[in-house]
Amino acid sequence: MNWGNPYNWDAAEWQQATWGERFMFIDPYFWSYFGVGLALATSIIGASWGIFVTGVSLLGSTVKAPRIRSKNLISVIFCEAVAIYGVIMAIIMIGKIQTIESYPNGQQDECYTTALFNGYSLFWTGISVGLSNLICGIAVGVTGSGCAIADAQTPETFVKILVVEIFGSALGLFGVIVGIIQCSGATFLKNCTS
Amino acid sequence: MSDTDTIEPSAYFFGYIGVASAVVFANLGSSYGATKSGVGICSMGVLKPDLIMKSVIPVVMAGILGIYGMIVGVILQGKVSSITAQSASKQGYAYLSAGLCCGLSSLAAGLSIGIVGDAGVRANAQQDRIFVGMILILIFAEALALYGLIVSLILSQTS
Repeated sequence: MNWGNPYNWDAAEWQQATWGERFMFIDPYFWSYFGVGLALATSIIGASWGIFVTGVSLLGSTVKAPRIRSKNLISVIFCEAVAIYGVIMAIIMIGKIQTIESYPNGQQDECYTTALFNGYSLFWTGISVGLSNLICGIAVGVTGSGCAIADAQTPETFVKILVVEIFGSALGLFGVIVGIIQCSGATFLKNCTS
Repeated sequence: MSDTDTIEPSAYFFGYIGVASAVVFANLGSSYGATKSGVGICSMGVLKPDLIMKSVIPVVMAGILGIYGMIVGVILQGKVSSITAQSASKQGYAYLSAGLCCGLSSLAAGLSIGIVGDAGVRANAQQDRIFVGMILILIFAEALALYGLIVSLILSQTS
């Protein structure tokens, strides 16, 4: 959809436009796709942060206690799950973005405002999901690192610290749940109203 | 309403940012992975030269990230050149997002591969049984870049 001149302003109206009004002319599709990109990229940054924090401790501790190697890979799998949350949300959000092909006569303003609503909704969904997964990945990574080191010294502590990791992994899940609810109202309709 | 003859010029601007960011960020990640692991290999190779060839695996895995960035860059470049007029700006933003997805994911994966590879090759020199664990962690780190590639390819199919 080429919005062109959404509110049909002429040059004089453009000249005295405020910054707020110019902000509203940032394309709704930009907000939507940027939200998708943020959701995915920040989730994967969180997952990778967790993986290297945990991996380094795991590999270092395994030198003197080789028995901990296979059990503590579960911390790495928790971090990978964070990345998968990001992928799931990105695919859900991509499915919501459709091309608006036309609008009913005389309703260009309403159509553009609805599109803005959809765009903002998807952008902030991306922020919620992405930042939650970033923080979750770091949390699981740091906890997993502690888990590996403690397990190397005292095997009984492994399961107890795993419970802490599960609580940390719930953060990403909260982000996904809120994200799904947040983007459920954002539907780009082909004819803008139906 | 929608002018079918003229293509919104900003679509090309954002599209080509996507192409560039896919390649640039993926190569940043790839280079970090190769460098950080490489330093580890050089350090441990002094005392255990037989393990050097086995330890080159993290460097190879980091190199693959650059290939992901190149694949997405080439695909997006073809798509940006053939943007259709009907939903030009939407396509431009979609290709921007695709490039950022692939690039930033590969960057993150490269950071992870580098740091884990460095620690892994040094630990492998001291304890033989670590090799399998190191490979498993590196595979999980590589999969992150693959997720970014998959979503980029989905985004590049927008019309």
